[in-house]
Amino acid sequence: MTRVLREIMLVSAKDLRIEARSRQTLGLVAVLGVLIVVVLGLGLGPQQVKSGMAATAVLWVAYLFGGVLCFEKTMAVERHDGALAGLMLAPIDRGVIYAGKLISNLALMLALALIVTPVAVVMFGFDLSAAPLGFVAIMAGGFVGFAAIGTLFAAAVSSTQSQGGLLAVVVFPVSLPLVIVSTQMMMRLFGEGEPLGAVGLTVLIAFDAVYLVVSWLVFELILEP
Amino acid sequence: MIAITAESVTPLTDAEITTATPAVRMRGLSKRYDERWVLRDITLDVPTGSYLALLGANGAGKSTLLHTLAMLSPATRGELSLFGESAARPSPALRARLGMIGHQPMLYRDLSAIENLVFFGKLYDVSRPKQRAMDMLERVGLADRALSVVKTFSRGMVQRLSIARALMHAPELLLADEPFSGLDVPSVQAVSALLAELHADGKTVILTNHDVRQSLELAQRVVVLGRGRVVSDRRAQDANADEVTREVIG
Ligand SMILES: Nc1ncnc2c1ncn2[C@@H]1O[C@H](COP(=O)(O)OP(=O)(O)OP(=O)(O)O)[C@@H](O)[C@H]1O
Ligand SMILES: [Mg+2]
Repeated sequence: MTRVLREIMLVSAKDLRIEARSRQTLGLVAVLGVLIVVVLGLGLGPQQVKSGMAATAVLWVAYLFGGVLCFEKTMAVERHDGALAGLMLAPIDRGVIYAGKLISNLALMLALALIVTPVAVVMFGFDLSAAPLGFVAIMAGGFVGFAAIGTLFAAAVSSTQSQGGLLAVVVFPVSLPLVIVSTQMMMRLFGEGEPLGAVGLTVLIAFDAVYLVVSWLVFELILEP
Repeated sequence: MIAITAESVTPLTDAEITTATPAVRMRGLSKRYDERWVLRDITLDVPTGSYLALLGANGAGKSTLLHTLAMLSPATRGELSLFGESAARPSPALRARLGMIGHQPMLYRDLSAIENLVFFGKLYDVSRPKQRAMDMLERVGLADRALSVVKTFSRGMVQRLSIARALMHAPELLLADEPFSGLDVPSVQAVSALLAELHADGKTVILTNHDVRQSLELAQRVVVLGRGRVVSDRRAQDANADEVTREVIG
């Protein structure tokens, strides 16, 4: 077990080192996320903006588009110069590659959220302090499931060589249940001031578990050098 | 069903034991891409410790065969076993015994030479990976560029680093797809010396090459592929370069 963990961290640390050096992904994703929040904020106008409902929905849009870019970029690193074949030759399980990539994607999405969320708070006058822990719990639940399928589809799409936008087209529909559950929970939490329901959170965690297990199993089958 | 013959009762000599479990055993190996058969019914044994050169025209199927042997993509038909273990569901331990130099360098361009080698060394659980990486860089003449990022390397330098990556874990079976492509004369010599050393260590080497004479000098055995089939299979010392060239041209 410790061996597997060490291998996963090795794969993921390599990704983050590459990202820290080039700052390619995060730079692009942060600009995109901020633009989405600002443009939608201005577009919706002051009335809608104040409701707090709009804020969570707009944030989700930013996370989704930013996330898909993260998935694409972290997989592109492996596609360049056949590096993925080097990983596939190594004496590690395919699941290690999947888990390593997933962690890299989650780390990037976390960084994205840390940049974009404060912008939304300012832009929408969104009162996060009403339920900060609930917000984090719902977001974390949403991110894990979304990144789980995103990591899988990024690997599948990049081996078909028809890139550019295709990933979003396949990932968004599949992640719809997650988005619906988490935005509904957010709206209740911030709009109507209901406490964070155990039922909602359980549903979210169940979705995450299903997405994680299925993606992990399928990853081995679709991975091609 | 166990058939006991007179032969199997007599004890095996060392030489016979090595041929008993070849490093690579192919039986009717065939591979299809879409509707086209790229490898057709290849049956070969590569004894442990041997040095084999695969020759053939462009598109003959050399790289496809090496990819199949490396278990990167499965054969459509036929059986493949490596060191006596079936390649259908290879264990990590079996993968650890393999090294591959491919058409693509399999390196991260944003990492430095040493970071790349240490990363792959750790994946293979190489002991003292930094030390080993420096040694390998020394061997391929890149010690002074250890800290440079790979994207700043010339093509030949990338190729040499890719060879160092493949040899980091001292593989028992090296699959080298045109390892000399893009190398200058001193590098060709350095790399052939590395391969000869590996072979002298009892490791198995399979390389593909377009230089017939060089292959006959380096390897013990030359196999010519043509349109996915084995055209000829000879001991290098018995082979005539002109004749082999004619077979390659087809
Ligand atoms: N991924 C692929 N999809 C479809 N066809 C492929 C693929 N890879 C190889 N082929 C086909 O398989 C055949 C053999 O290709 P391969 O790369 O093995 O040849 P090769 O002997 O290595 O040639 P070269 O000397 O040019 O390296 C070619 O006809 C090629 O078009
Ligand atoms: Mg080739």
